[in-house]
Amino acid sequence: MTPGRLAHGGAWIDRSKPVLFTFDGTELEGFQGDTLASALLANGVVGGFRSPILGRPRGIHAAGVEEPNGYVEISAPWFDAIAAATTVPLVDGLVARSRAGVGRLPEDPGSVATPRVAHRFVHVEVLVVGGGASGRAAARAASQEGDRVLLVDEHPVLDAPATGSDMTILANATALGVYDDGYAVVLERTVDIVVWHVRAGRVVLATGAIERPIALAGNDLPGVMLAGAAQTYVERYGVRPGERAAVFATNDPGFGVADVLRQAGVDVVRTVDARSGELVIEALGAERLERILVRTTDGREEAFDVDLLAVSGGWNPNLGLWRSIGGGLRYDDERAAFVPDGGPPWLSVEGRAAGDVPAGTPLWFVEHGDDAAKFVDLQRDQTVADIAEAVGGGLRSVEHVKRATYIGTAVDQGRTSGVLAAETVSRLLGEAAGAQGPSNARPPYAPASYLSLAGPTRGDLLDPIRTTPMHPWHVAHGAAFENVGQWKRPWFFPRDAEPMHRAVERECLAVRNGVGAMDASTLGKIEVVGADAPAFLDRMYTNRMSNLAVGSIRYGLMLGLDGMVLDDGVAMRLAEDRYLVTTTTGGAATVLDRFEEWLQTEWPDLRVYCTSVTEQWAVVAINGPRAREVVSATGTDVDVAREAFPFMTFRDGHVAGVPARLARVSFSGELAYELHVPAWHGLEVWEAVMAAGEPFGIEPYGTEAMHVLRAEKGYVIVGQDTDGSVTPHDLGMDWIVNLSKGDFIGRRSLRRSDLVRTDRKQLVGLLPDDARALLPEGAQLVVEDTGRIPMPLAGHVTSSYQSAALGRAFALAMLAGGHEMHGTTVFAPLPEGTLACTVTSPVPYDPDGERRDG
Amino acid sequence: MTARSPLAERSADLGRVGARELAFLSQIDVRVDPAGATTLGFPTDPNTATSGGRDVLWLGPDEWLIVGVPGATTAIMHELEASLSGLHCSVVDVSANRAVIELAGPSRHDLLSSACPIDLHPRSWDDGRCAQSVFGAAQVLLHEREGVTRLFVRPSFADYVVDLLLTVAPA
Repeated sequence: MTPGRLAHGGAWIDRSKPVLFTFDGTELEGFQGDTLASALLANGVVGGFRSPILGRPRGIHAAGVEEPNGYVEISAPWFDAIAAATTVPLVDGLVARSRAGVGRLPEDPGSVATPRVAHRFVHVEVLVVGGGASGRAAARAASQEGDRVLLVDEHPVLDAPATGSDMTILANATALGVYDDGYAVVLERTVDIVVWHVRAGRVVLATGAIERPIALAGNDLPGVMLAGAAQTYVERYGVRPGERAAVFATNDPGFGVADVLRQAGVDVVRTVDARSGELVIEALGAERLERILVRTTDGREEAFDVDLLAVSGGWNPNLGLWRSIGGGLRYDDERAAFVPDGGPPWLSVEGRAAGDVPAGTPLWFVEHGDDAAKFVDLQRDQTVADIAEAVGGGLRSVEHVKRATYIGTAVDQGRTSGVLAAETVSRLLGEAAGAQGPSNARPPYAPASYLSLAGPTRGDLLDPIRTTPMHPWHVAHGAAFENVGQWKRPWFFPRDAEPMHRAVERECLAVRNGVGAMDASTLGKIEVVGADAPAFLDRMYTNRMSNLAVGSIRYGLMLGLDGMVLDDGVAMRLAEDRYLVTTTTGGAATVLDRFEEWLQTEWPDLRVYCTSVTEQWAVVAINGPRAREVVSATGTDVDVAREAFPFMTFRDGHVAGVPARLARVSFSGELAYELHVPAWHGLEVWEAVMAAGEPFGIEPYGTEAMHVLRAEKGYVIVGQDTDGSVTPHDLGMDWIVNLSKGDFIGRRSLRRSDLVRTDRKQLVGLLPDDARALLPEGAQLVVEDTGRIPMPLAGHVTSSYQSAALGRAFALAMLAGGHEMHGTTVFAPLPEGTLACTVTSPVPYDPDGERRDG
Repeated sequence: MTARSPLAERSADLGRVGARELAFLSQIDVRVDPAGATTLGFPTDPNTATSGGRDVLWLGPDEWLIVGVPGATTAIMHELEASLSGLHCSVVDVSANRAVIELAGPSRHDLLSSACPIDLHPRSWDDGRCAQSVFGAAQVLLHEREGVTRLFVRPSFADYVVDLLLTVAPA
């Protein structure tokens, strides 16, 4: 009888459903319920694999996730760079080829078929990992208590227990990790992948035991197989794994396999009982197992021709998940195994995983024969000789030996080699069994692709793309977009094939000489309400907000406890007990969190409530000498006359027929109005402004023009000109720090000696001597250009633009002692040459603010 | 001139997952001490909501969201301000601050469970429940109401949420 499919039997296969697949270019047939490994054995493919480092012939060695040899790349119907054939469910059209333990990513990721991946969140009272007898019993018991139960098993077929109504059973499902407080991640694999995020009240690990190999010379030949695996292939898949077999075991169940094999028609020519002192001392063969040498108790050597050697060195409770979440271990001498000992209260272990494994006499490696042919880690090609070399080199811990030999670090995670390596180290050091303990275990329990873990969160869904109500208009008008946090903001609006610098220049000139409109909806907005709101804001900002008149607006600066600038914005006083404050686009969540933190943890006595209204309001900013005419033309019931509606005030009324708040604030230095309207009116009001502004030559402008315009006025952008190490004084903004009003966040830090040094980096303007030379942002500055690297650095450029209004390039920079250096020359040494720049005030345009009222 | 709801262009997409947008609902955020809320009959059990002429959703120990039909915002705010007069409270119009998606059909909870981590099993999620959670990377407020599920989401995230719903829905 040759190896192959038995005429009958195979509890997990469905012989009525043949499945066609391809392995290494050959088309083969299996049955539904097969794994790729069982189907290969059914087709008489006993070898077919190579070891990764030495290139030795290898064959299927195990029947589950512990497989060290049988690795494949799958190219259809999905792509997987590396998978154990013992864990791949056989599906129609499966195309696999052998891989020597190392996966290769495709040259062109777009060329491979990716499986559909879904994620599911599920909550249960009990999660049971492992669908053997103990797992099914635990699931049944919990279900009968009325609990919701999820039972998962990595095998393709799972005998379902009699259940209550709320039991979910997943086959082909591997628990990748169990984490704190009953959170577990389970990967269910058929053609599609489902990643289950499980929240369980308690977790039962019924993960069984993994059979141990015995390191003997030639034990890596195809045809040497774990005894339990041989049994599995016969009973579950109806596959005969060999023709003439020997069994070499240290325990009774190992010899039970001999009977199973005989019943399957295998000629079992010899059983070798290590407990009696008999040993298989060598496995021999060229491409596959052909013969074994047995040393009898009286020292004779006998040879047997076999093509299958079923080996059982005992059983290790499968405790990878248990240990990865902090479960303890102890060595049980009787069972010659590590068993669970102490773990989190919500986690329990049942059955063989709990230590219910057969007693046996431990045998780790056979003393006879060539140590360099006794493989401990088949996937890393590491032998007893390699361990002996590491130990001989002075290593005394399995953790060190692991790092010297890489034993246990391959795709199979050392499931068959871990304990064997630890005990081999103990033996070589003359220590007691169990002295080393296996090296640590970490999730994921089995390999999982990034694709699975990412699930739907990839491509355009990798991170939310946030857009404003006016976004459709921006898209329709050809805006180039800039990412600002998660927001897509118009960067500039090119006309025809206009390059960026032309578009920005045109947009800037429109604002300086005519009028422009910008979508400012992304500004963070918070309503701060309550009798103590004025006092609260006085503590949060450096300046006084409590004496702001109702209907007025004030710019404010917020510091960290360290005195460094954190955020800025304006406060509008809506009523005696109500403000609307704005934040930077990126700082909205940070500022609200900060408000809540101080209110809840430090000042619960303050009667203040904060509510985010960022997205309640869409904001159109109209800037330029003709802004007033555009607002009037858009149609408003607010008197926008210069005297009636002064700078830094707001009015509630209507614009374009919708309720609106009009605010006289300017981030360009020009006459400017912000129109705040309920977000669902944002698009129509924007369109109304653009239509009304057409006779005035209105231009939409983006963030780049906005940056240029504000820089011309020396208005800083928090996070661009500042970097978390900049004080208001460094920015020349002492005017906004009110030290007489009482305490505010950051106040005390401003007196620290380091913060009052006069040689701190300070904000200045820079005018390159070559008016067309644009300094790169981030360029370093020196006071003296020695021409020799290194040079003492004096500062760096934070913002740099071509200014149409100034007719030249200019920059803002942080320069050591810069406040006292106006008029001097500094240098920016650059790869293409050194640029000389004159230091100036940071307000190169309209320094006296004569343009803000139009 | 007409207002434009955040998902005005996505009704066909929403229909493919058994959903529709509820545009322009009145939404008012109320912050007040729980003692004050009790006198108004606001729900004080965490993550519960009441429905009557208008819905009152518990968002936190001192925060509720009042949801009414479109156009009722001003009337509701006046009524609340009168009822809460003299109490330390905050009443803020947030009607345009969240888009509202209504999911119908028996598989809606399975669909949501593809990207929402809370327990949507009938044992812990049924009519009158609400919760603040996430759908993918977007903050959402869920409200189970009369056999449908409402999903409140910031308008800037609304397209993302619809795109994610379409992606996770069975083919």
